[in-house]
Amino acid sequence: MANFYRIILLLGLLGGRLVSHGQQGPPATISGNFQQLPFAEFARQVAATTPYRFYFNPTEVDSVRVTLQATAQPLNVVLRQVLQATPLQFAIDAEHHVYITTGVPIDTQLPADFFQVPAAEAPTPPSPALARRAGVGSPAASKVYEIGQAQPSSSGKATLSGRVRDAKSGEPVVGASVYIESPNIGASTDQFGSYTLTLPVGRHQLFVRGLGLKNTTRLLAVQGNGKLDLDVEEDITPLKEVVIEAEKDRNVTSLQMGVQKLDIKTIKQVPTVFGEADILRVILTLPGVKSVGEGNTGMSVRGGGTDQNLVLFNDATIYNPAHLFGFFSAFNPDMLKSVELYKSTVPARYGGRLSSVLDIATREGNRKQLSASGGIGLLTSRLTLEGPLAKGKGSFLVGGRTSYSDWLLKQLPSKSLSSSAASFYDLSAHISYDFSDRNSLYATGYYSRDRFRLATDTVYAYSNVAGSLKWKHVITNKLYGVLTGTFSRYQYSLASERNPTTASQLGYNLNQGGLQADFTYFLNSKHTIDFGVSSLLYQIAPGRLTPLGENSLVVPDALSTERALESALYVADRFDISPRFSVAAGLRYSLYNALGPRDVLTYQPGVSRSEGTVTGSTSYGSGQVMATYQGPEYRLSGKYAVSDNSSVKLSFNRMRQYIHQLTNTTVVSPTDSWKLSDTYIRPQVGDQVSLGYYRNFKANTIETSVEGYYKVMHDFLDYKGGATLLLNHHLETDVVNAQGKAYGVELLVRKSTGKLNGWLSYTYSRSLVQVSTGTDVINNGAYYPSNFDKPHDVTLVSNYRFSRRFSVSANFNYSTGRPITLPLAKYTLNNAVRVYYSDRNAYRVPDYYRMDLAFNIEGNHKVQKLAHSSWTVAVYNLTGRHNPYSVYFQSQNGQIKGYQLSIFAQPIPTVTYNFRF
Amino acid sequence: MNWFSIRYLLLGSALGLGGCVESYTPDVPAATQNYLVVDGFINSQGSTVVKLSRTLGLAATGSAPAEAKATVYIQDNAGTHYPLTESPAGTYASAVQTLPPTRQYQLHIITSKGKEYLSDLVAVKTTPPIDNIEWRLEQDGVQLYVDAHDASNNTRYYRWDYTETWEFTSAYNSSVEFKNIAGGPPAPAGAKYIVPRTENIYNCWRTEISTAIKQTSTTKLAQDVVTDFPLLFLPLPNERLGSKYSILVRQNAQSQAEYDYWEALRKNTENIGTINDPLPSQLTGNVHSLSDATEPVLGYVSAHSVVEKRIFIDRGEFPQGRLVYSDALNNACQLIEVPKDLSIPEVPTIIIDNALNVFRQPNILPIAITFGSGNSVIYTASTPECVDCRLRGTNVKPSFWP
Repeated sequence: MANFYRIILLLGLLGGRLVSHGQQGPPATISGNFQQLPFAEFARQVAATTPYRFYFNPTEVDSVRVTLQATAQPLNVVLRQVLQATPLQFAIDAEHHVYITTGVPIDTQLPADFFQVPAAEAPTPPSPALARRAGVGSPAASKVYEIGQAQPSSSGKATLSGRVRDAKSGEPVVGASVYIESPNIGASTDQFGSYTLTLPVGRHQLFVRGLGLKNTTRLLAVQGNGKLDLDVEEDITPLKEVVIEAEKDRNVTSLQMGVQKLDIKTIKQVPTVFGEADILRVILTLPGVKSVGEGNTGMSVRGGGTDQNLVLFNDATIYNPAHLFGFFSAFNPDMLKSVELYKSTVPARYGGRLSSVLDIATREGNRKQLSASGGIGLLTSRLTLEGPLAKGKGSFLVGGRTSYSDWLLKQLPSKSLSSSAASFYDLSAHISYDFSDRNSLYATGYYSRDRFRLATDTVYAYSNVAGSLKWKHVITNKLYGVLTGTFSRYQYSLASERNPTTASQLGYNLNQGGLQADFTYFLNSKHTIDFGVSSLLYQIAPGRLTPLGENSLVVPDALSTERALESALYVADRFDISPRFSVAAGLRYSLYNALGPRDVLTYQPGVSRSEGTVTGSTSYGSGQVMATYQGPEYRLSGKYAVSDNSSVKLSFNRMRQYIHQLTNTTVVSPTDSWKLSDTYIRPQVGDQVSLGYYRNFKANTIETSVEGYYKVMHDFLDYKGGATLLLNHHLETDVVNAQGKAYGVELLVRKSTGKLNGWLSYTYSRSLVQVSTGTDVINNGAYYPSNFDKPHDVTLVSNYRFSRRFSVSANFNYSTGRPITLPLAKYTLNNAVRVYYSDRNAYRVPDYYRMDLAFNIEGNHKVQKLAHSSWTVAVYNLTGRHNPYSVYFQSQNGQIKGYQLSIFAQPIPTVTYNFRF
Repeated sequence: MNWFSIRYLLLGSALGLGGCVESYTPDVPAATQNYLVVDGFINSQGSTVVKLSRTLGLAATGSAPAEAKATVYIQDNAGTHYPLTESPAGTYASAVQTLPPTRQYQLHIITSKGKEYLSDLVAVKTTPPIDNIEWRLEQDGVQLYVDAHDASNNTRYYRWDYTETWEFTSAYNSSVEFKNIAGGPPAPAGAKYIVPRTENIYNCWRTEISTAIKQTSTTKLAQDVVTDFPLLFLPLPNERLGSKYSILVRQNAQSQAEYDYWEALRKNTENIGTINDPLPSQLTGNVHSLSDATEPVLGYVSAHSVVEKRIFIDRGEFPQGRLVYSDALNNACQLIEVPKDLSIPEVPTIIIDNALNVFRQPNILPIAITFGSGNSVIYTASTPECVDCRLRGTNVKPSFWP
């Protein structure tokens, strides 16, 4: 291999320099008597008498002495004799060029298909472009790809676009860096693996870099606009889980701030309590993201509520991304490629939630061959199948996961536990298909279901359905568009049959359909413009109570359906003012219409809304607009590169949220429902300004950042004391609008390559709430800590790879205890001791501290093997620290005593077996 | 069963995985304030009883300090006053009276220090009768249900409290006692002797008042009917079911506001402060200080009538062979044998011997004189809690007991 590079070098640097000029004429033979002649001199003499021209590296031949007598012998015979005792090889082409190389002779003929240009090639037919899909492996690297047709009138720049694919599986490579070094121009591939570069006309060396990728280069001769698809090889790893991360210097060079991207490999290294890779739990280790409780996937991003995070699974919204009370996230790790969390600069393309966007992308299936992978854990097992469709033009990926917690519960000694049931499963599928180079179709489906019953009582069930269909169309080299249709459904039910008189079932159902068109236009090397339009239609059946059985006296009750349309237009421009300074400005304008039919109660103005202050009602017909909210959402960010490896970024963001989660517990529970904004419930609006400094060290292998933010949130929901959230026909009487502010500083050191990798973060942050409307006041209207206010947080996620087959991961997490409302005094009322509480959230539970350790052992790496497998042995909570999951108080012998419950108070070992074949 | 129980189910299973519960003492400054607590309601058909007390620190033992020597009266919206008188300290009661149901009422309190408190004006709710109290034998115990209805559909919010009374015995039926026989010759003055017991300390009755908040609403039902409201569950075997058990159920009609108050109080007290439960309310009630609007006053004063119903459950009503009764305390009792010294002559009806020294100790009571091994005469004896049922109840038969 290395020799090929040397040849390139030789040709590039020395080619032609040693060519002797000879007379024109027919092919000549060699005659003469040569004694101990240096090879260079021999070549000079031959060239002088024949049409042959020699190309070689003088350093490689300076030890060769030519001693022979020849009479009209052909050159190849002579050379074979001369070079037979040396490692040198020779090759002669039709133009009588003689190439001397070490080890391997040069191939003087192009491959047979070299000039067969793919049909949808360059935009200017008929193109003499030599570019073609570069073959697997290095020979492609030695080739010079001519891009486009020379255009005399051109500005001296040309646009190059194409796709980067995995050479083995044919899957697009996302987030790989495609760049040239001189001048420094680069881009990273998008979710479809596409890239676009605007390059000066001329010769360039193009580099493709990405984590888990072999470094790949191509030589380009750019003459005009053109296209170049690149197949890259993954770096050798036993399982195909390595996918691409952002380019190494993205931390410093990208315009975005507050973005965290994790690939599935990183996610799988992090030890978890039940041994299964869990994306949401890894997200919780990132700076600025706080868990709402151990064993719960609900998260608070930069002080926001658990409902302020948009969870997208290939662009379809997932409303309850958790299984089994939140102990598992609802995504099969084998299906996933990467997870991206936006917490401050949210692209204008996204909207609808205040705090963050969590963009979860599935892999594409293997385009080359059928394969399967899976895992067997203590509580769950999973299986994934993938393979090519239509001879590699497309692929499919299907995965499923199920629990056997039912079985586990039955083994428990307690009767109430063993007669209980809890089960879940999820299924997901993804298909991609390229109709042509310009048209691709992607379809994703997702279904998850949970069901649990406690003893003989209520049965709870909930399910998520989500699907998306995407059509990507490349309109021109500089413009492409994606049309996406999405559908999401979330529903839950609880049924109680214990008492025949009150036996009933309660159901909730949320449907969301969406259509969006997104376009990206590479105007020129300084401007990239994104624009698009989207529309979401919501339909919620917020509660339906139905009697069960003949003896039930329960009156059927159904809340009227909520409907709304949320539409948005956006345009965003990334403007590279200079190589050091760039800005991105985005404007999203969202419009929300709450739609009838509905009877809306009217209330006396100026007093707290309650049943007692109802004055009448207004009736709206089907489809009639009841309430309209609209407003611009600004997304501004700027980056100034202080040096090649450090930069300063500033951003301002406004988000609007029209759908609210109703929950009166701080953890996420399956009976939490979602409520649309209406006449009384205003949309939440949040503004965030953030400032960050980023610096990379040691050739971008260590990235560091400091980000500070300040954000204000308006009109999120808080609840009056004793609020009824289920089956409430006039929810507006039970909720109050709260205002919040949050601020903090996040420090991150991250090393993504090398034997030791991982990250260490420290966050100082506050999250405060104020409820002080004219009529409803909490804590006398002062700001008080929200449930997510944990000022100090230190997280370490690390992995050390001893060898290709053995690695160790360690986690460390510390955070301030969460706020709590404590009992202060007791009193006797109605024969029992009662408790008087402090101001809301005036105190804190003990600090949280945990350490986990995992060992990953890979099977051997023989390529020819039935199944590749790996074992993960992990210990969760290594130190057995008693972290409070819950703090509660009980009355005992007239004293009120406090207790803390720790659910994982001992080290918990787990073993998981993963396989792929 | 609610979502919280589901979580506890999970926690239960998690405990199997290494969870644990331990004591937690928050670092909270001792509550310096002591707020007034108003415990009671305005009884529209009977005597209104209101208890005034003060709040206590969490770790304090003992009962809440009573608020004595206050002036307390009911006033209606027509300006009429109905006085309450104090007896004992901190408990204030009115005469048995019927208040006009069309008026609204409030409670006025003036403490001995001159601070004035007033509850909000409330309308009178008249409580419908209890239809039925029923008990059913279930797998693990006895479940008591209550039925009620209001044909006029006005009640809607029901709350119950109850008083349980049951007859029980101590472990041993003592026929003798160690007692000073005043003036009985020839005993020396101040001496005590074993004499036949005259008072029954074997059969007693124990009474307990409910502490749980039991309430329901029928607003989701087409008719104002309460069917099979699960009032109380007695797990079997039970110390209450030795011979006869009785429960007196009091039914209270409520306004929605009062129902909400009790519901919040129930959530506050019955799931005290679990961090993942609904945030506890800073619940006070409907009584306010007239001098300082920010001073918390605890308690809700409503106005309604009360209806009562009593049922009895006899041990004989249970099927044969079912283990119904078990008294943990009695089961732990042990009989002690004290040898009688026969060398000392007996005085008619009075026995003097060295064994009496044993009974001078306060923690042992004689049960009977009997024969031990080898025809020796012994005293049987045991600890007071195994002999004297009055330590757990009263040996005065309640007037309602059949």
